[in-house]
Amino acid sequence: MADHKHGGHGSTGEVHRELHAHLPPDPALRVKAMESLLVEKGMIDPDTVDAWVEAYSEVIGPKCGARIVARAWTDPDFKAHLLENGTEAIKGMDGVGWAVAHLRVVENTDTTHNLVVCTLCSCYPHAILGPPPNWYKMAAYRSRAVRDPRGVLEEFGVTLPSGVDLQVWDSTSELRYLVLPQRPAGTEDWDEDRLASIVTRNSMIGTQRDLETGTNGA
Amino acid sequence: MDGIHDLGGREGFGPVDADEKEEAFHSDWEARAYALVRAMTKAPDWTLDRFRFTREQIEPSDYLTRPYYDQWIQSYAAMMIESGVASLEEIVSGHARNKPPDLGLPPQPDSVTRERRAAGVAFDRPYDGQFSFAAGQKVRTLSHVHRGHTRLPAYARGQRGVVVHVRGAFVFPDTSAQGIEEAKPLYTVAFDADDLWPGEGHAHLVHLDLWESYLEPA
Repeated sequence: MADHKHGGHGSTGEVHRELHAHLPPDPALRVKAMESLLVEKGMIDPDTVDAWVEAYSEVIGPKCGARIVARAWTDPDFKAHLLENGTEAIKGMDGVGWAVAHLRVVENTDTTHNLVVCTLCSCYPHAILGPPPNWYKMAAYRSRAVRDPRGVLEEFGVTLPSGVDLQVWDSTSELRYLVLPQRPAGTEDWDEDRLASIVTRNSMIGTQRDLETGTNGA
Repeated sequence: MDGIHDLGGREGFGPVDADEKEEAFHSDWEARAYALVRAMTKAPDWTLDRFRFTREQIEPSDYLTRPYYDQWIQSYAAMMIESGVASLEEIVSGHARNKPPDLGLPPQPDSVTRERRAAGVAFDRPYDGQFSFAAGQKVRTLSHVHRGHTRLPAYARGQRGVVVHVRGAFVFPDTSAQGIEEAKPLYTVAFDADDLWPGEGHAHLVHLDLWESYLEPA
């Protein structure tokens, strides 16, 4: 595919160099100019932009993923379905919001830990975790999560006990990975809402292993 | 494309900023940029893979240092220029000189709720061709792909792995980046990190989702 129009050594790189040379360095100014242009071009409705900002600031986020995890902890049939076909399992689930088209859930156990990365860009289940953290998108995590995952986990304060297998998932396709963390001991009589409240974003990426109950298990 | 984006296994980056404040956006412009991309009218050939390939061709120093959503905006700016939707001068000034060819009414505010409730955009496709590999089969990845967009990362080229799951047929990114939709079988393949980076004492598996044409029997 060396002869196509948007080649890696052709016009697109040149367009980027032109943009680099002429756009102001401040990203806020670049974004402002882009919005103004799109409005004048009739390519955007500012009210729709506002609605997306509101949705991602208030509704869509790790709380959606936490609800999925809490249900899996309390409903064995749902959990089995979730691990078999995550996409189908969460369809129509109240409060989860915009669904992920191809969801793959990987389960942490006493003997397995899972860690998710996207080395080539920043693929992430936005619809159920919200926008990814910066570190997920930056070179340090993307380069090292596949080669030095234990070192990365240490930086998050996680030391895997011996006897725990480590599985890294590089999101190279449109499958989106979600880690199902382990349910902490001492939460046996908790309801789904209370369980969801202790599930963290990082635990669903795999950069946290043990969840805190905040109540000494009581 | 052997670009700067292909970060898996590269050395010299780190540590990860594990203490980043957990919030959807770290500034107003980030939220605005994110929502602009969600809300704008897109030309039919601006596929997700075209967008990824465009971002991969940002100047390497910019790729590593410019903020992430700034790179989204610059990539859409580049696609707008390449598709004749806007000129460099319009992008820089933030003002339109000409209306683009008819792209229809931009997405309206009610599209946000609708999209959030709908299933995500699916990338699996009907396929009546052969699946050359089965779960459990050993495969070897190509040692070189081509100079365009691909989802076979450099660190996993020319490597032996085992198919752990047959995912079905999915849109092939390498041609999708050029606006050509083609479905090919997709497999999740597990690689032993000790094979990828021998002699470094690794004991973990790295899983990638790889299309059939990246693979040959081992």
